[in-house]
Amino acid sequence: MTSLTPSFCKKAALITAAAVVLSPIGAWAQTTTDKTSSSAATASAKGDRWLHVRVISTDGKGETVRVNVPLELAEKVLPAINHDRLHDGKVKIDCAHVNDVDLRALAEAIRNSKDGEYVTVQGNDNDVRVAKQSNYLIVHVLDKSKSKKQQVEIKVPMKVVDALFSAGKDELDLVAALHALSAQGDTELVSVKDQENTVRVWLDSKNVTE
Amino acid sequence: MLFLAKAALGLGGTIVLAGAYTFHEGVIRVDVDESREGGSHVHMWVPAAAVPMAMHIIPKRHFMYASEHGRDFVPLAHAIVKELKKFPDAELIEVDDGTQHVRIRTHEGKLQIDETEPGQDVHLLIPLSTLEDVTSQLEANAPSA
Repeated sequence: MTSLTPSFCKKAALITAAAVVLSPIGAWAQTTTDKTSSSAATASAKGDRWLHVRVISTDGKGETVRVNVPLELAEKVLPAINHDRLHDGKVKIDCAHVNDVDLRALAEAIRNSKDGEYVTVQGNDNDVRVAKQSNYLIVHVLDKSKSKKQQVEIKVPMKVVDALFSAGKDELDLVAALHALSAQGDTELVSVKDQENTVRVWLDSKNVTE
Repeated sequence: MLFLAKAALGLGGTIVLAGAYTFHEGVIRVDVDESREGGSHVHMWVPAAAVPMAMHIIPKRHFMYASEHGRDFVPLAHAIVKELKKFPDAELIEVDDGTQHVRIRTHEGKLQIDETEPGQDVHLLIPLSTLEDVTSQLEANAPSA
């Protein structure tokens, strides 16, 4: 037993050495992942665009919903959804619902027109305003009919509107619209406010909600 | 005795190598805690690399069944996971209703899902690479339309 001890010690040392040599394999794999993640983070800071949705309810429970989605992810994932009217990143419009209005021609007419207010309705129930300002299509609706006044503001870059209608006559190209949106600067797209809820949809390059 | 020592060395080396390979993709972590009386407490750590390995052993017919039932969902999940890997850590979804809190985020290459409500906490951590392996295998085994 005494004569075997040095040999056993040698072997034990060898095993320990092997363990020490091999253990970085696991760590290396993790580090590689981390490096990839880190470089992705830098890339994100450089150019990724994030779509944010925030819903805050001010009722008793104080519900909050926050969604942050990279636009590129949405662009790649949308074509994978084939459900109901949505296929290959395009959504079919039911002609009956647009009352035979050629939306594509309408969008083109707005694009070629000068800045200005196109629709202004002031009624007892609603105030509606549709305008084009600095290459943005702006829709503003104030619902006065309910006890809780609701205000909706939509601001869409004209390039996004064009991209949306760039598919066939009866369909909207969501992927093209997202692609066009990714080229835009930080912008607030939708804002809905009433006495109980605030909804905000905006675009920026941050991967976290404010 | 020398033979035994060599065998031990071989076995030890194999164990270390297998351990390093098994854990190289990280671990899948599931924690469920029910705070009610007699509630269950599940804490599970599974080497992520074991999942794709196990999927090779599972009979194909089970895959066909899973793929058929997830025909619409699997390609979408695969596309999401594949893309998520390219982005930095992010809080993807956060829902808070005062009593219940749900958070889905990516953290260090893993998908993290946390759900907290009175009486129950659920935490799930899955490496994105594992999810990609699983969804791609389900996709590959999907019955042709």
